[in-house]
Amino acid sequence: MAADEKDEGAEFADFMADISQEISERVESLDAALPAPAPPLARKVATPSLSSDARMILDWDNVAERMIEEML
Amino acid sequence: MSVVNYGTREITCKIVYYGPGRSGKTTNLQHIYSQLPEERKGKMVSLATETDRTLFFDFLPLDLGTISGFNTRFQLYTVPGQVYYAATRKLVLQGVDGVVFVADSQSRQLAENIESLQDLHENLADDGFDPRTMPLVMQYNKRDLPAEEISPLEELDNKLNFRGVPHFPASAISGGGVFECLRSIASLVLARLSAPAAKG
Repeated sequence: MAADEKDEGAEFADFMADISQEISERVESLDAALPAPAPPLARKVATPSLSSDARMILDWDNVAERMIEEML
Repeated sequence: MSVVNYGTREITCKIVYYGPGRSGKTTNLQHIYSQLPEERKGKMVSLATETDRTLFFDFLPLDLGTISGFNTRFQLYTVPGQVYYAATRKLVLQGVDGVVFVADSQSRQLAENIESLQDLHENLADDGFDPRTMPLVMQYNKRDLPAEEISPLEELDNKLNFRGVPHFPASAISGGGVFECLRSIASLVLARLSAPAAKG
C-alpha cells in the first residue's frame, strides 16, 4: 500500500511493461487469426478518419446544457 | 464493442471510475496522473466545485504510445457521485469498455455503495450493455482509515461483489492499490481483443 515510497513514475513503468506484454501477446494471436487488411483504396475525398476520439465527449454544447439542467 | 481498430492501427479503451460521492474516484485519477512521466502527461480535465466535489466528470487521457504497431490509448473518466447527477453518469458511461467501481470502505457508507452499484447496473442496461459481462473490478478504498470506521474486506466483498470480479483494497490518497486496479481492468478489457466483438 505504500505506493508513495516508490520512485515517482515507477508504478507507471511497471504498468506499461505489463500492458505492453499483454497487448503484444493478444495482437500476435489476432494477427494470426485475421486475414490481411485490404490494400487502401485510391484516395477519394479527404474525410476525417474515425479516430479514437470518437468515444470522447466532444459535443460540449450539449454537455453544458445537461450540466445546467442537472444543477437546476 | 471492439476496442481495436486494425484499419487505423489503434487500440482505445474507455475506462470509467464509478462509485458513490466522495469515495475517491478523482483521487485515483490524480494519483495516476502524478505517476506519469513528463513526456506522457497530457491534460487532466477536471471540473470541480469550490469544495472539490466533482461537478461533471474528470477525464485523463493516457497515451501509451505504439505497442506492437498499435497506437494505444486509455481514456480514464470519473463520474460525479452525487445522486442528482444521474443523467451525467449515464452520458459518461456511453461507449465504456470497463469499469472500476470505487467503493468507500467506511461502514456508514455501505448503503451508498450499494445504491451506486445498482445505479451503475441500471445505467449500463439503459445504454444497452449487459451489466453481467461488462469488465469490472472492485476497489475497496480508504483502507487507511481506522479499523473501527471501516468494514472488513470480506463483508464488503459479500455485500458488493456478487459477480466475483477482481477486488482490491486501496488507499488512493497515498496511491496504494490504484495501479493494481488499473492494471486489472486494463487486462480484462484487453482480454476482449480476442473475443468476438459484441456489445455488452
